[in-house]
This record gives sequence, structure tokens and C-alpha cells, in this order.
Amino acid sequence: MLKINNLCAKIDSKSILQDFKLEINPGEVHAIMGPNGSGKSTLSNILSGKKGYDVTGEVLFENNDLFSLETEERAHKGIFLAFQYPLEIPGVNTNVFLKTSLNAIKKARGEKELDAIQFLKLVKEKAKELKFDKEKLGRQLNVGFSGGEKKKNEILQMSILNPKLSILDETDSGLDIDALKTVADGVNALRKKNNSFLIITHYQRLLEYIKPDFVHVLMNGKIIKSGGPELALELEKKGYENIN
Amino acid sequence: MEEQLKIDFEKKLKDFSYSDQEKKFKETNFKEFLKQGFPNRKLENWKFSDLNQIIKSNIGELTFYNDYKKENQIDKIELISELEHNKIIIVDGKIEKIDFKFEDKDKIEVLVEQGEETIKENINSLINLNNAFSNKFCKIIIKKNYSLKKPLVIYHSTNKNTQSKNTNSRIDFKLEENACLRLIDIFKENSEKNFLNIYYNFQLDKSSILKNYKIDKSINNNVKYSYNNVKQETNSISETFILSSGSKFFKNEINCDLLGQHSSAFVNGIFDLDEENHHEIKSNINHLVENTKSYQLVKSVLEKKSKAVYQGKIFVNSEAQKTDGYQLSNAILLSENSEFNAKPELEIYADDVKCSHGSSSGSLDENSIFYLMSRGLNYQEAKKLLINGFLLDVIEKITDEEIKNLIKNLLGVKE
Ligand SMILES: Nc1ncnc2c1ncn2[C@@H]1O[C@H](COP(=O)(O)OP(=O)(O)O)[C@@H](O)[C@H]1O
Ligand SMILES: [Mg+2]
Repeated sequence: MLKINNLCAKIDSKSILQDFKLEINPGEVHAIMGPNGSGKSTLSNILSGKKGYDVTGEVLFENNDLFSLETEERAHKGIFLAFQYPLEIPGVNTNVFLKTSLNAIKKARGEKELDAIQFLKLVKEKAKELKFDKEKLGRQLNVGFSGGEKKKNEILQMSILNPKLSILDETDSGLDIDALKTVADGVNALRKKNNSFLIITHYQRLLEYIKPDFVHVLMNGKIIKSGGPELALELEKKGYENIN
Repeated sequence: MEEQLKIDFEKKLKDFSYSDQEKKFKETNFKEFLKQGFPNRKLENWKFSDLNQIIKSNIGELTFYNDYKKENQIDKIELISELEHNKIIIVDGKIEKIDFKFEDKDKIEVLVEQGEETIKENINSLINLNNAFSNKFCKIIIKKNYSLKKPLVIYHSTNKNTQSKNTNSRIDFKLEENACLRLIDIFKENSEKNFLNIYYNFQLDKSSILKNYKIDKSINNNVKYSYNNVKQETNSISETFILSSGSKFFKNEINCDLLGQHSSAFVNGIFDLDEENHHEIKSNINHLVENTKSYQLVKSVLEKKSKAVYQGKIFVNSEAQKTDGYQLSNAILLSENSEFNAKPELEIYADDVKCSHGSSSGSLDENSIFYLMSRGLNYQEAKKLLINGFLLDVIEKITDEEIKNLIKNLLGVKE
């Protein structure tokens, strides 16, 4: 599904990712763990199409050259990024935003767009599953939301858009244990034969609820070690400094 | 220009049999205009918008005479279809039609005024120009306790072959105690390169409410100036909303004298500018007695080489304790060549007041654009959503639902 080969990324000639390699097959869950500043968000941003990086190397998504696709085209093809810091968008109603987003993707795929009633039914159902306060859906996007509510809103968007590849950038940080479980439930509900996940996290806490197939350790823009779920536990015990 | 002015003014005086009083009124104003000419950047009020220069570069030489005996065609003017309304149609400065068909006839009085013999208030040279060249002007009185059932729409238009002309119109309004008027100004010109000069006086008696919505949306190459002079008695409310967008140049000047306690003035506006359009809002809110309130919010979205100017002044005199005055402007610059100038002015002579002002400008937030695009919206859709969101709070300031929806439609703000 996703193939990353020799990806290098720089900002203003500062090297952030170096010779990054990763392959994710359909249905797999990969976790990337790494200390602050190791390049985790940079990787997520580049995969989603954020501008401002000088990149070399190759990224293929279902055999499409990712770099030839605009940000919105990547979303249309099924890439979703749950932001580490979801943005507040004043004046834009959350429901209106969700519907605009879903229908933009459906339209691009040549699927039938949802009308207001169908959409509301869907969003209500998903909000309930995620214990997301319905009243918040009528508010301006993320404005006045707590940190936890913003993160949950990302997962709500994910479950409505039903992406093929979901990238979760530290969705777990700042969540209490109940919220963490809800988020994990959201991910697990989407976890099907063909949906893949790239879960970026600091701690192995989230990985107790979402069992990854592979764990990678990112240091200074490079994957220094890969393994199974047990690697997360080892990291937790030894710390990043003593891994090798 | 002086030559042309004199010829046109002579011609104008010969058109009608003006009374001696009218003649004197016009002559005094004419002389005053001759002396001062069009305002230029040397005047503090005009330092961001040199009208003299703007007329020169956009119009060239102006003529001032308009034939008020001729009947102008009005059936081609496109009327608003979204809401039922009373109407006044002005073509080349001449009132062609006054139609209050939705109202009780004995509750509205329309008078033809002669103009005072001398100029009591010397506001500026454009008001002099207006008084000299506008026709006999009318005064509309809304009787005590009467709220108009439907809004009054004033259509400002020009004839197809009117070009390089100055047109002047003036209307005075009096809202008697507890009366209420919703007034919409709409611009529908049929020709280019003219200078439209509009002057309104409003006398707001006790507890009356005026809502004035000025909608300049159709794209045109005209230069416009509009002056609202609002005098407010106890408990009266004035709400002004300006959608400033379509004209080449437009300066809206709003003067509110809060003369009675618990009177309040709201001035809100949107600059939605493209190309090389240059617009300005200049407000003067004069808090003259205790316990008055003013609120101003102006938002700008500026494309290409457009330029917006907001000069908001809050004046509080020494008796006006407990004044509440607030003023804020925000601008989004969509191009490196667009420009926003804000000059807030607080002049406060009382000590127990609550006054504040603020201003910000910046470009569209790229991170927000990225966020929206990562959810499947293309750049244009993301930009539109952000801009609509940015404008929403000022649109929400419109207290009339029907008119709010009209303006939302004009701006393409969907819900
Ligand atoms: N816009 C930027 N400009 C300059 N440096 C940046 C920028 N974004 C990230 N960096 C740097 O790149 C490195 C990786 O950042 P990031 O990807 O956010 O790390 P992580 O998400 O793993 O904490 C850090 O050293 C950070 O300071
Ligand atoms: Mg990060």
C-alpha cells in the first residue's frame, strides 16, 4: 500500500529525515516511536502533502507517485492524517466542515454525495460510538474544544472518512485513559483487511489497546530498529538512549 | 475645472425657478466648494485617499450639470427579488420614484425641502458640492411609534450614457419617537467613470431605531462618496453595516452624535476588495452625554492590488461619563500588493469610560489551509471556507435576519 524508499527531507538546508525506508501492506498496523524532534511529525506532514520541505527519494501509495499528488488528491485516494495539533478554524461550523470534507472526497471518487439527512445520521452514529459530545458538532471547528476533544474530533473525522491509510500523529498524548480507550476503539473499528495504520507515539501506552504488527524506532530522522510489539515494551524499559 | 463648475452652476440655477432662499443656499455652498475644491491628502481625514487625485486618474475632467427636467428610464434597473420592500429610485442624483406601497400612508410624510439660508454646519467640501448641485432634496418623516413593515431600499443608479459626471443626491430622514426604519442602499449603475456623491441626514428621536445597510457589490468603475450624519436622542439606536466591494473607489463616512443618554451606535463593515479597488470607511462616533455606547467591527479580505482604509474615531467629551466604546478591525491580505490601513483614534476627555480599540492584519494561515486540504478540499474551497469563517462574526452582527441572509447570499456564505 505504502512504500517509502530513501526518503530525505530538509527544511532550509537542515536535514530532518535521512534515508527513511518503510513499507506498509494492506491491513497492517505500524507504530513509529521516537523522542521529541526525531522527525515524526515531519514524516506525517510529508505523507499528507504539506509544502515547505525539500524532499528526495520515492514514496508510492498504491503504486502512485505520492509527490505528484496534491494534498487533497491524497485525501481523495484515502490518506488521512490525525494532526498532532489540530487547528482551530473560527467561523467554520464543525458539521458543515465534516460534510464538506466527506462530500469532496466522495465527489472526487465519483461516488454519490450525502444529503443533509444522510450525513446527520452518519455523524450522529459515529459521534455516539466515540462518545463525542454532539453539541460540539454545532460549534466552530475546534474553537473552545479541550485538548482531548480536539483529538477525539480527529478520530471522528477518520471514522467518517473511512481512509485506507490513517496516520495518527501522537493522538494519544494529552488523553486520559478513558479517552485513550475510546480512540483505540475507533481505530480498532476501522481495522479491516485493507485498512492500514501508521501510529506515531511517544509511549507504548496506546499500543496496549491497539496491537501493532510492527514497531519502528525513529532517531534523528532515521529508523534505527524495527521489530514486533515487544520492541515497544523494550523501549519503555530501556529508554531511547539504550536501544540498539 | 473651475470654468466648468461655473458654467454648470449657472445652467443649474436657470433650470428651475428657485426661491431666493434656495438660491442663496445653493450659491453659498457653491462658493464654499470653489474655495476648497475636492479633498486631497493634505487633509488629515483624506490622507489615505486623495480624492482629488483619485478623480483625476480614474475619471479625468468632470462635468457637474445634470438635467433634472428630463425623465430617466427606471424600468431597466434590476430590483432585489429576495425580499419585499418599499423603494426610492435615484438616477443621476435625481429621485425618480418614491414608493412606500407596504406602509400606512398617514405614518410617513415626504416633504420637499428648500435648504437653510446659511450653512449651519460646514462638514466638508463634498457636502457643499452636494448642496449646490443636488436638486430640491426631500425629507422623509416616520411618525411616532411607527415601524415600517418592510425595508426601504434606495437604488442608486446612473443613465447608460452618463459619463465623467458628478451626480449628487441628498435625503433627510426624521424618525419620530419610537419609530423604526430599515434602510438598504443598493448601487446599480448603468455607466462608468462617474463620481456619485450621496448625503443623508438622520434625526433619531427618543427610542427610535435606524438600521442602514449599504451594499456596494456590483463591479463598476465609479467613484463614490457617501456621508451619513446621524443625530441620536435618548435610547435611540443606529446600526450601520457596510458591504464595501464593487466600486473602483468608495469612501463611506459615518458621523454619529450621541446626544441623548443610553443611545447607541453600531458601525460594522466588510471590505471585500479585488483588482485595484480602493475603499475607505471613516467613522466619527461622538459620545456627548453620559451612558452612551458604540461598537465597531470591520473585516477586510483584500486581493491583488486592492487597498482598504479604516479610520475609526471615538470622541468622548468631558460630560460623557460611563461611555462604552469599542472598535476592532481585522484584515486578511491575499496578495503581497494589497494594503490595509487602520487608523484608530480615541479622543477621551472623561475619566470614567470603557474604551478600547484593536487592529490586526495578516495573510491566510497556511497551516489552516493544509488542514482543510488534508480533508479533501482543494485550495480554492479551503480558502473560501476560511474566508467565510473569518467574515462570519461581522455578518452575525446584522440584527435583521432577512437582510443578513441577503448579504450572506451576496457573499456566497453557505451554511
Ligand atoms: N518548519 C520548521 N522549520 C525548521 N525546523 C523544523 C520545522 N519543523 C520541524 N523542524 C525541526 O525538525 C525536527 C523534527 O521535528 P518534528 O518532525 O516536529 O519532530 P517530532 O514530531 O518527532 O517531535 C526538529 O528538530 C524540529 O525543530
Ligand atoms: Mg511531532
